[in-house]
Amino acid sequence: MSDKPVNKGPHDLGGTAAGPIDTTDHGMKFWEKQANALRNTLTHKKILRVDELRRAAEDLGDQYYKLAYFERTTMALRTLLLEKGFITEAELKARMAEVRARFDVPAAAASPGRKDAGR
Amino acid sequence: MRPGKRAQARRERPSTYTPAPGRRFNVGDRVVIKHAFPPGHRRTPYYIRGKEGVIERICGAFPNPEEVAYGFDGEPAKVLYRVRFKQNHVWPDYKGPARDIIEMEIFEHWLVPASGRAKPARLPQRND
Amino acid sequence: MSDTSFDYYSHKKHDHGHGEHAPVAGRDEGPPSDYEIMSRAMQELLEAKGVVTAEEIRRRMEIFEEEFPYRGSRVIARAWTDPAFKQRLLKDGKAACAEMGVDLEATRLIAVENTPDVHNVIVCTLCSCYPRELLGMPPTWYKSDNYRARVVHEPRSVLKEFGTVLPEHVTVRVHDSNADMRYVVVPMRPERTKGWSEDRLAEILTRDTLVGVTVPRVPVKG
Repeated sequence: MSDKPVNKGPHDLGGTAAGPIDTTDHGMKFWEKQANALRNTLTHKKILRVDELRRAAEDLGDQYYKLAYFERTTMALRTLLLEKGFITEAELKARMAEVRARFDVPAAAASPGRKDAGR
Repeated sequence: MRPGKRAQARRERPSTYTPAPGRRFNVGDRVVIKHAFPPGHRRTPYYIRGKEGVIERICGAFPNPEEVAYGFDGEPAKVLYRVRFKQNHVWPDYKGPARDIIEMEIFEHWLVPASGRAKPARLPQRND
Repeated sequence: MSDTSFDYYSHKKHDHGHGEHAPVAGRDEGPPSDYEIMSRAMQELLEAKGVVTAEEIRRRMEIFEEEFPYRGSRVIARAWTDPAFKQRLLKDGKAACAEMGVDLEATRLIAVENTPDVHNVIVCTLCSCYPRELLGMPPTWYKSDNYRARVVHEPRSVLKEFGTVLPEHVTVRVHDSNADMRYVVVPMRPERTKGWSEDRLAEILTRDTLVGVTVPRVPVKG
């Protein structure tokens, strides 16, 4: 039985065991399009680099496997914005509470996130 | 075309490739991907480490992503190559025909010349 | 088995009346997840701090929706009708696109040609690198863990899942776009398209054919 491969990131998936592919394109939800545009605006303006966003996603470790694509990218962006001092944890927490209130979502009911249909 | 005009034409029509004058390898060279597993952000997939292939194309010189990922400028740029591998050399259990190939981009510092390479003593492979 | 007639963007293009339209202040159905909330919160904070503007984001959303997805099929349709252009495209993808006024921004493009002997297929095993300025956003299957894991290791099985079966004499050439280059497949042009206009050719150059998981199909006239 082999040990876990040394220093293999969770993203380094080529050749790993995997199941059938959901070959239908499920497109993107509105918030995902907007999240993509946000990230793209930041890299387009060279405020962040794509390489940094990738690294932050890779550093999610085992959490990577539990998250769907846009959940990973959202967490990666969060990591970078905090790391570079664009936002603080407190600010983010406060703003999330405001956004939640606007959507009228009780904190307890907020789901951990739906997985991408195409796994 | 005069050099000034050539440069102007290049500016007007952005290219896929950048120059790589100081490169170590050329198209057709046999290379081996370093059999190394350092932590951190790497753009050399795990499955290709230690495999032998051939230089298919020179892509040019680009900032090193392994540095850019941590907020540095990645300079000086490193030469990037497209390397071609036979699938049945990459995967011991490859089920397709021997002619199938896989290609990817590998930075120069991950490449070792295949010819004249002394066969190293086989260290225990931690992912055996 | 994939619904090979469903190409997200070609579906959108023809669905003028009642297709999804992304309004600026849009909402999805159902309560937002923590990640949606987080994403919106980060965007609002960055807007409040003047790092980005709502207009910049809206414009990028628009270009991703209205512009990028339609370029690839036009460029490849041109390559099908103009052999000299095709050679320039194969030599330097970005420069050839620039000739057509298609600005790929930072993307460096390599076009790879299918022949009777070689079939190309594209993946990014490490993340989801994809020529977004040429093809729009990648499909969900392209970003899926299962595609990324399997297409490099067992491409023929994966292609079968998309309904594409290749004879043994055809070389399958997988491209893992793991660094600075991005890839597009130039499919083989079907015989039955002789005399077609570029617009008509572009219709059968669906996104999936340009990634290499399917080949162009000439619709059978009913």
